[in-house]
Amino acid sequence: MKPRLVLAAFIIPLGLIIAAVPQNTTRPYKLSATELMDEVNTRTQFVTPETVADMIVKKDPTLLLIDVRSQDEFEKFSLPGAINIPLTDLLNDQYTELFDQDVKMNVFYSNSTLMANEAWMLTRQLGYENNYVLEGGLNYWFEAILNPQQPASTSADEEFARYDFRMSAGQALGGGGAAVQSTEGSAAPAAKPAIQAKPKKKKAAGGC
Amino acid sequence: MGPLAVNEIISENTNFFLAFIIGIGFGFVLESSGFSSSRKLAGVFYGYDMVVLKVFFTGAITAMLGLLFFSLFGWVDLGLVYINPTYLTSAIIGGIIMGAGFIMGGYCPGTSFCGASIGKIDALLFIVGLFIGVAIFGAGYNWWDELYLAKFLGSPKVSESLGLSDGVFALILIVVALGMFWAAEWAEKKFPRQEY
Amino acid sequence: MTESTNKKKSNYLNPYLGGVLLGLVLLAANFIAGRGLGASGAIKSGVVTVVTAVNPHAGETSGFIKEYQGAHGGSPMKNWLVFEMLGVLVGGFLSGALAGRLKFKVEHSPKITSARRLIFALSGGILFGFGSQLGRGCTSGSALSGMAVLSLGGFVTMMAIFGTAFALAYFFRKNWI
Repeated sequence: MKPRLVLAAFIIPLGLIIAAVPQNTTRPYKLSATELMDEVNTRTQFVTPETVADMIVKKDPTLLLIDVRSQDEFEKFSLPGAINIPLTDLLNDQYTELFDQDVKMNVFYSNSTLMANEAWMLTRQLGYENNYVLEGGLNYWFEAILNPQQPASTSADEEFARYDFRMSAGQALGGGGAAVQSTEGSAAPAAKPAIQAKPKKKKAAGGC
Repeated sequence: MGPLAVNEIISENTNFFLAFIIGIGFGFVLESSGFSSSRKLAGVFYGYDMVVLKVFFTGAITAMLGLLFFSLFGWVDLGLVYINPTYLTSAIIGGIIMGAGFIMGGYCPGTSFCGASIGKIDALLFIVGLFIGVAIFGAGYNWWDELYLAKFLGSPKVSESLGLSDGVFALILIVVALGMFWAAEWAEKKFPRQEY
Repeated sequence: MTESTNKKKSNYLNPYLGGVLLGLVLLAANFIAGRGLGASGAIKSGVVTVVTAVNPHAGETSGFIKEYQGAHGGSPMKNWLVFEMLGVLVGGFLSGALAGRLKFKVEHSPKITSARRLIFALSGGILFGFGSQLGRGCTSGSALSGMAVLSLGGFVTMMAIFGTAFALAYFFRKNWI
């Protein structure tokens, strides 16, 4: 049979198929289940409210708070400087650049940690770094920062230092605690996680 | 999964080694198809030998379909594959100059290497000419760098510019190419020639 | 299976088969290295190597060299295309050897002399070399590989090359037919 006809017999159906089928836009998961489990077990995705409060007070530009609740809840109360990306919209293309980057530290938060954790899971599985979860969510935030409990007098020094810090931070953030003179200088909160530089995926150079 | 080198599934050195292997495949196929002969190559412009048209378009369509299907199956991430950038002015003018070089020399760089590898001296001289031509370009770069960098459109795909999906464009190209193949067969019957 | 009436028996591949094989090689290149085939870039690497060997500081005065060095670190010859073109030489040689086509000769139409053919080969090469730099690729790199990834620049360059060659074919017909 003429080679031309054989060729045509193959490429026309293939062409029809490829023209008809919609393009594949799924993003492959980059992390394996075990890798993800390891990270979950070591709780690397959490940042403490103290760290976040510190960054807010110091106006650290690398922080970006992301409220993953619905728009209504966001409008009722939100953390200073936070933006609202409801969990259902998380995978929209417009936000890819927001999550897949190495300049800012994105911190997801919700009322507890449920939705924020889901957001973290999704972005982590896509291989994105530098996205975190606010430990304890807003519920704990209120408790810890805005209305910190005074530690018992027998508690360790760190407890007091932390309390002092929370009071002053809470003060700055509109909490109800009384003004406090910190005695030893406010304890630095746990070091904020370093921003992981994104390994620049070198797109193949070509041409010539 | 793919492209393997970009996703760092293979190392850079493996990539270079595979480049060598791919080159062997490239050279072998070209030579076997007759692209080592300048007279066969020039034939497409006179109708007596349409091998260039047949091989070229079949090759482009095969690879195009292959990539689109690979992307469909998730085997390759087309976003990471190199797409030639479009600098409109230099693409056209460069193409015109290359066209003149093609009809005069009867070779293009890839085929000239093939020709040289089987002993064609005219292919060898073509390669010498290539070096000279590139050197001239480099030496006088400052005179034409504006031209070289003009009208940068990014890396658009033809399908995007026409507002079609990749698949639909591929189908159109297939139909056009098949039409050209039939015309090519007709031309070869009309302009007889000998085998080189 | 002959497609035209009078020709000597040749042992070239059927062009459609050759095309499919070529497409598969191109597909492999894209899958493995994330880029298509090419040729003129290897020449560019060669020129840059020679120039920087003679004058290591050429990158400061020549925009051409600087642009190349900016895009490629390390030794200019350690480049995907250079390895690929070395492979082309080997592959072409193997194919020619298997088919019995190895022979030193100047291939030209019987109507012209060898010398004339060589002059045109050289001039054609010079033009093509220059044009390939402007066009950022040759028929392999820009046209063939560009078309496979649907690049607009690739298509434009391809049409310019073939269009011009067709247009000028009449003036050079004596060289070929």
